[in-house]
Amino acid sequence: MSIMEINGGSVIAMVGKECVAIACDLRLGNQALTIATNFEKIFPVTDRLYLGLPGLATDVATLRERFRFRVNMYTIKEEREITPETFARLVSSTLYEKRFGPYFVEPVIAGLSPVPSASGKPEKWEPFIAATDLIGCLNFAKDFVVAGTSSDKLFGVAEGLWEPDLEWEDLFETISQTLMNAVDRDAFSGWGGIVHIITPDKVITRTLKARMD
Amino acid sequence: MPGEMAHHPQQRQFNPYSENGGTILAIAGRDFAVIAGDTRQTEGYSIQTRYAPKVFTLTDKAVLAVNGFAADGNMFVKKVKQRLEWYRHAHAKDMPLRAIARLIQTMLYAQRFFPYYVYNILGGIEDDGTGAVYSFDPVGSYEREACRAAGAASSLVQPFLDNQIYFKNQKAAPGSAHPTHLPLSTVIALVTDSFTSATERHIEVGDGLEMYIVLASGSSGQGLEGVKGLRELSTKGEAERVFVIRRDLKKD
Amino acid sequence: MFLTRSEYDRGVNTFSPEGRLFQVEYAIEAIKLGSTTVGVRTPHGVVLGVEKRVQSPLLESSSIEKIMEIDTHLGCAMSGLTADARTMIDHARVTAQNHTFTYDEPIKVESATQAVCDLALRFGESVHDEDAMMSRPFGVALLIAGIDEVGPQLFHTDPSGTFTRYDAKAIGSGSEAAQSELQDKWHKQMTLVEAQILTLRILKQVMEEKLDQHNVQLAQVTKEKGFEILDEKSLKEVIEQM
Repeated sequence: MSIMEINGGSVIAMVGKECVAIACDLRLGNQALTIATNFEKIFPVTDRLYLGLPGLATDVATLRERFRFRVNMYTIKEEREITPETFARLVSSTLYEKRFGPYFVEPVIAGLSPVPSASGKPEKWEPFIAATDLIGCLNFAKDFVVAGTSSDKLFGVAEGLWEPDLEWEDLFETISQTLMNAVDRDAFSGWGGIVHIITPDKVITRTLKARMD
Repeated sequence: MPGEMAHHPQQRQFNPYSENGGTILAIAGRDFAVIAGDTRQTEGYSIQTRYAPKVFTLTDKAVLAVNGFAADGNMFVKKVKQRLEWYRHAHAKDMPLRAIARLIQTMLYAQRFFPYYVYNILGGIEDDGTGAVYSFDPVGSYEREACRAAGAASSLVQPFLDNQIYFKNQKAAPGSAHPTHLPLSTVIALVTDSFTSATERHIEVGDGLEMYIVLASGSSGQGLEGVKGLRELSTKGEAERVFVIRRDLKKD
Repeated sequence: MFLTRSEYDRGVNTFSPEGRLFQVEYAIEAIKLGSTTVGVRTPHGVVLGVEKRVQSPLLESSSIEKIMEIDTHLGCAMSGLTADARTMIDHARVTAQNHTFTYDEPIKVESATQAVCDLALRFGESVHDEDAMMSRPFGVALLIAGIDEVGPQLFHTDPSGTFTRYDAKAIGSGSEAAQSELQDKWHKQMTLVEAQILTLRILKQVMEEKLDQHNVQLAQVTKEKGFEILDEKSLKEVIEQM
């Protein structure tokens, strides 16, 4: 059995109008056996940047800490917040370091990147999403990215439901429906979900009441 | 010298199966059924043909979609049609839909230890005038349901259908209920969207779409007017009417 | 008689110069020795009635079985060599079950009848060096009653493998009188009870013994309850209504 499928789990991110959304399921399993139903796979990086890490749970925990360390080091050294674009490169190079003994995760990155303005303070934010494979090959999609054991299902539903320039309320509905209906057809994902919608002035986090079987 | 050559044990193998991609889909309405499939046929990463039909009319009110190993699929359809003809001769009537469904089960299970490597979806009109879809696994396990996707992109399409046909994970507005049957126009739109989505994300799906529509006798066929690429297959006077919609899908 | 038929009445698969198969004809004759059996079709269902000849007071009349079930919607009454009917009914039952297994629907009455008749001419079948499965034609005629999507139907089969659909039919020793009586009394809009009474009246006319619930048997096929043999209690009730 594939290492990527031992613990199960899925993540999806979508672009909206001046907002992005990232969502994951809450299952942690050991093959067919469900161990926990509160296993979040999305972690905050900055106020407007989140990282989803579906894959082998031990690598999820390790990478979460490694990225926290490396982002902190970046912030201290550079004296500024890391941008989503830069963070994506950081994820990519961190994974490629282990090209021949990889971490078994497929990261998903979602955030708002500042648009430089004359005043220096960003007034506009641009949606940013990206995903990589387990060795850090980046995919900058303009619509949505998916990862995890229900990636094929997520692709199918997202391709049918997503449309451009969704307001955050509609984006929430779209990503939630996509996630729930996809993981309901996947034995390794599900058991609840969590959604983060990142808007310029706030992040809305909601847990989904989903099928628990 | 041949006598001095070492004789190593050799093993040869013949693999009788291959997988030819593509996707099929069927949805039942109150008084109609829609049965669709793409027309791309692949082997590995090659496209063998851009037009290989996977959906076949069996009777005036039954349409069968077959997906998986194309050789087995074509032979299976041929044998089903032969059995339908024999039935017509023996019993002086067309086989009813549920009888075809059961026949397909027995035919598939007869090959339990050398199966037809195909997923079947049967759609049409039941004797009571309702639209019906029956889906099968390769060895004949079957079920009547409202909708089913099978084939290469079934994992992409089925959860979308769960959401849009069964309204899974959706709550009806207070004081109202989700409809149990969708109108024909909605179903046609969903089938089209399902295939364009599958074409977008699955390499084995694309080229062309064939969508068969079976209308129960007395059905108005509302939702078909003005549909592009529509053609009626039934001759006027038959109780049930069969239409086909042929559309292009992306070829890349 | 023997002089004229000496050569051609032996072999079961040899035509006489006049184009007749004597063994089949004799088999049909055998039925005329059988007990009288009547079938009546109505819009509500089909009634079958048989006479049970109780030759001895020691004989258990309930052990005489001349009406049998083929499927829940199909019944059958016989006259002639009733032992032969077992083979045929067995075949009909298997055919009916096979049909339901394969097609998830009840077999049509005509199809079941056809299946029985397909057996009738198997007596000729044997290839060189092979034992024939059947040595002679069946010596029995059947009245097959049933209901399907077409409606209530009554079929008659004979040893030649011919089958015919009837509104009402009598076979067996009293068949001639019975048939003409049916022709007089049968009408299109008969109720089931009328058909039961008619059947019993006709049996009563042709029977030597006095008719009672022990020496006749009634069965019917209805849409609601399918095939059923009337028990002695309900049979007695019908007899009292006569």
